[in-house]
Amino acid sequence: MTTIVPPTTQTLTRLADELRRAIGSENVLTARSDLLVYECDGFVIEKNSPDVVVFPRSTADVVKVVQCCNRADVPFVPRGAGTSLAGGCLPIGGGVMIVLTRLKNILEINYRDRYAVVEPGVVNVHLTNALKGSGYHYAPDPSSQGACTIGGNVATNSGGPHTLKYGVTVNHVLGIEAVLADGSVVQLGGPAEDPLGLDLVGAMVGSEGTLGIVTKVWVKLTRNPQGWRTMLAIFESCDDATQAISEIIGAGIVPAALEMMDQGILVAIEAAFGFGFPLDAQAILLIEVDGLEAGLDQQRDQIVELCKRSNAREVRLAKDEKERLKLWKCRKQAFGAIGRLSPSYCTQDGVVPRTQLPNILRKIIEIGTRYDLKIVNVFHAGDGNIHPILLFDERQPEQVERVLLASNEILEACLASGGSVTGEHGIGVEKIHFMQKMFTPDDLQAMDNLRQAFNPLGKLSPQKMLPTAGGCGMEQKHPGRRAAL
Amino acid sequence: MPVSSDILPLQKTSDPATAAEVVDLVQQARAATTPLYPIGGGTSLHFGLRAKTPGWGVTLSKLNRVVDFPARDMTITVEAGITLAELAQTLAAEGQRLPVDVPAADKATVGGVIATNWNGPRRYGQGSLRDFVIGIEAVDGTGLLFHGGGRVVKNVAGYDFCKLLTGSLGTLGIITQVTFKVRPIPERSAWLACSLSSPKQAEAMLAALQQSAVVPAAVELLAGPVWQSQSALDELKLDPRGYALLVLLEGTAAEVLWMKDHLRREWRDAGVVNPLMEDGCAAPWLQIIEFSADLDSPITVQASVKPSGVLPFIEVCRQRDPNCSVLAHAGNGTVFVRFATFPDKGLGQLLLGDLQPAASAQQGHVVILNAPPGAEATNQSYWGGEAPLALMTAVKRRFDPLNLLNRGRFVY
Ligand SMILES: Cc1cc2nc3c(=O)[nH]c(=O)nc-3n(C[C@H](O)[C@H](O)[C@H](O)COP(=O)(O)OP(=O)(O)OC[C@H]3O[C@@H](n4cnc5c(N)ncnc54)[C@H](O)[C@@H]3O)c2cc1C
Ligand SMILES: Cc1cc2nc3c(=O)[nH]c(=O)nc-3n(C[C@H](O)[C@H](O)[C@H](O)COP(=O)(O)OP(=O)(O)OC[C@H]3O[C@@H](n4cnc5c(N)ncnc54)[C@H](O)[C@@H]3O)c2cc1C
Repeated sequence: MTTIVPPTTQTLTRLADELRRAIGSENVLTARSDLLVYECDGFVIEKNSPDVVVFPRSTADVVKVVQCCNRADVPFVPRGAGTSLAGGCLPIGGGVMIVLTRLKNILEINYRDRYAVVEPGVVNVHLTNALKGSGYHYAPDPSSQGACTIGGNVATNSGGPHTLKYGVTVNHVLGIEAVLADGSVVQLGGPAEDPLGLDLVGAMVGSEGTLGIVTKVWVKLTRNPQGWRTMLAIFESCDDATQAISEIIGAGIVPAALEMMDQGILVAIEAAFGFGFPLDAQAILLIEVDGLEAGLDQQRDQIVELCKRSNAREVRLAKDEKERLKLWKCRKQAFGAIGRLSPSYCTQDGVVPRTQLPNILRKIIEIGTRYDLKIVNVFHAGDGNIHPILLFDERQPEQVERVLLASNEILEACLASGGSVTGEHGIGVEKIHFMQKMFTPDDLQAMDNLRQAFNPLGKLSPQKMLPTAGGCGMEQKHPGRRAAL
Repeated sequence: MPVSSDILPLQKTSDPATAAEVVDLVQQARAATTPLYPIGGGTSLHFGLRAKTPGWGVTLSKLNRVVDFPARDMTITVEAGITLAELAQTLAAEGQRLPVDVPAADKATVGGVIATNWNGPRRYGQGSLRDFVIGIEAVDGTGLLFHGGGRVVKNVAGYDFCKLLTGSLGTLGIITQVTFKVRPIPERSAWLACSLSSPKQAEAMLAALQQSAVVPAAVELLAGPVWQSQSALDELKLDPRGYALLVLLEGTAAEVLWMKDHLRREWRDAGVVNPLMEDGCAAPWLQIIEFSADLDSPITVQASVKPSGVLPFIEVCRQRDPNCSVLAHAGNGTVFVRFATFPDKGLGQLLLGDLQPAASAQQGHVVILNAPPGAEATNQSYWGGEAPLALMTAVKRRFDPLNLLNRGRFVY
């Protein structure tokens, strides 16, 4: 087990010089004020500044950086756009943060063989834009797609609204080039399916930067569907809405997307975008089916019928492409709209079997009441992936404490119903204490064994994801983390 | 199930009925430093390098229960020794299926299929086996019983052991339990086929399918004597040097009807006059699924190449052996070749001299599925292609430091 000893000032000065020589001083930041930007990601509850931030421009640069870090015996952590909601980019013990946003080229697009090769810093939506008009798209579409990088998506195995039908990131990655913790470069997989030997591509996706630094990705391209039907089902109660979800999935329909928004979030979205959502509705479902035109009306009618049977007040159809895009804009920018509701918010991420959605939503309401917290919901309902958003004020420590306790209870409830504590945001530092609740000590031992094979010294992304991966001295010191235990 | 000694050098075989009994067995094997050979249905024990060290067989046939089937959640948890046929039957009762086509489904087990990463024709439209495995339990070479994933369809907690174990040939752990996500059984299916005279024409048709609005469930390319004698394809009058293209369509009645019509028109415009059209998916689809499992041919290989590399690879094989039979899941770049005769210059020359260069030219690799006893292959010729072996070996050492599980049979 590695304990992270903070590097001395002397070590750091020498390291910074070496890094400047290795990759150019314009790609290295050390000024206190510059480093502040990198002290946290989308998870704002814990902060720590890295000692040095570097911006490699090639795989060779990444190798040089890793070699410098190893020589100086300093920890290092990769970062994409920093939109992680689990603190995956928190530089525990300081050290070097390797920001991959300057590796942002799309290297190849091959339509015949349906793949693209991209560098890790390519923003998700930039790939989508590059494919426009080709009849193909890259399927994983996290709500943060305007900012987050493909490298970050690979590291967290991101999902999105349309991953209900099309699968999450791991289902769309054919190959990875990575720099390992010892500075060696490996290519896992490639344009052909079924890599030879072990499926290390599958092991690397979702490993949250603890197994290697992704420097190149072969992603699959997906044919665009011929058509869509997008619906908005309006309900008087959350129970009815979750019942409808269960009916739709249970009927064997696989919608392209099935998203739920409750009244709390609708108010914020409506204020931001003025779409015309009914503000008195308790919940709405945004449902999209896609595929062959020949099958769409039938699926739409079936869904409308199932919603009505679950007491939907009204089911509206997006009447044209413009309206459809606007609806999706509302959904994807819902988080942005929350700023209107409260100074800070904590987006939780849990999963339950889909039939358990009514129970978990009731439980969330109960927990919110008990902790006197406003909780709003906007989530990937079709997958059973809930995202309760807890509203608070970061400047009030007592509120932070309540948010952490309530979050814990919600996640405990997910586990109790046979689910998971994270569907797409990852464990990071935020949920590390949950690993022991979700997995046995033997499971965690097996996970540590895998990490040891890739990252034996634990210098790459220390103390992330696995409670066994490094000392836990830090955890006790931080008020937030103590509250979270 | 008795296993012949030319397949595995077994001193004894045990049949644990619980995961705890599997753990015990591994502990005993550890104490005796004796290799263990996991056995599912025994349908592809010949796959992988020949086992040299005598050891114990571990049959999973008693671990064959359905653990949990919450049908409305579209997931199922089963023990690893359950056969694919039984799994299919359980799911079908609720109108669901695991859309992975496996030969000898009445014998092949869930554990064996995952260990070998088996995929059939429907992979094109439905995704691969690894996409459906959402939870897994296994016992590693130290006797550690471990889990990955869970029972929900979306989950990123911890490392993804479901992927790591799929295709690991039982060398990292003996799989004891698996959770799958499943799909509804489509209302209808139908297929279209045509014969094509040249590789050039075949590639043009495959490339056009990529651009078509039709979304096939499977895209198969067939060639050689096995298919010429297949009566379901008689009408195609297959030319011995030519190819047959088969496209499977699945969906609602309206969707299948539309696709059939649309594809027929596209093919007509491309010069295909009389395509064969049938409803359902009986013959020759059953033969397609079983093709690679046939042990009559002296050598069967599987290549994985990029989709546009399928025809160039097949042409190299046909130059070597004009009477070979070929089946390709062409949309995915998977090619199976059954050679009609054993090569004069030996197996090593065929693989290293011809097939591996042909596959790597298409950014892929070749593995042997079946070769006669005595035709010893080396590690390098058997698992042809580039792989980060040092890293794989490091993983193997962590999960199985004594090298007990399927010793010497896989890439390391
Ligand atoms: C408003 C909002 C909405 C969101 N919606 C979704 C959603 O719908 N679905 C979803 O899945 N997530 C969502 N997220 C979470 C987040 O956007 C994703 O986890 C995303 O994949 C992170 O990408 P990033 O480039 O920002 O990575 P970062 O946040 O920079 O890093 C995330 C993790 O990946 C590691 N990492 C980054 N780059 C690399 C690399 N090249 N090699 C190895 N490791 C690396 C980091 O160390 C860290 O552990 C949302 C976040 C926000 C703020
Ligand atoms: C390369 C390849 C070749 C194939 N060739 C044939 C063929 O010739 N004939 C045919 O009918 N089918 C063949 N198949 C398909 C086969 O039916 C299935 O893929 C599956 O392997 C058979 O399952 P089984 O239960 O019979 O496994 P088995 O044949 O019993 O075992 C296959 C391999 O998996 C391992 N294994 C089995 N169960 C477990 C477990 N629970 N945990 C860990 N490891 C386990 C075994 O040690 C063995 O190495 C082949 C598949 C592949 C990938």
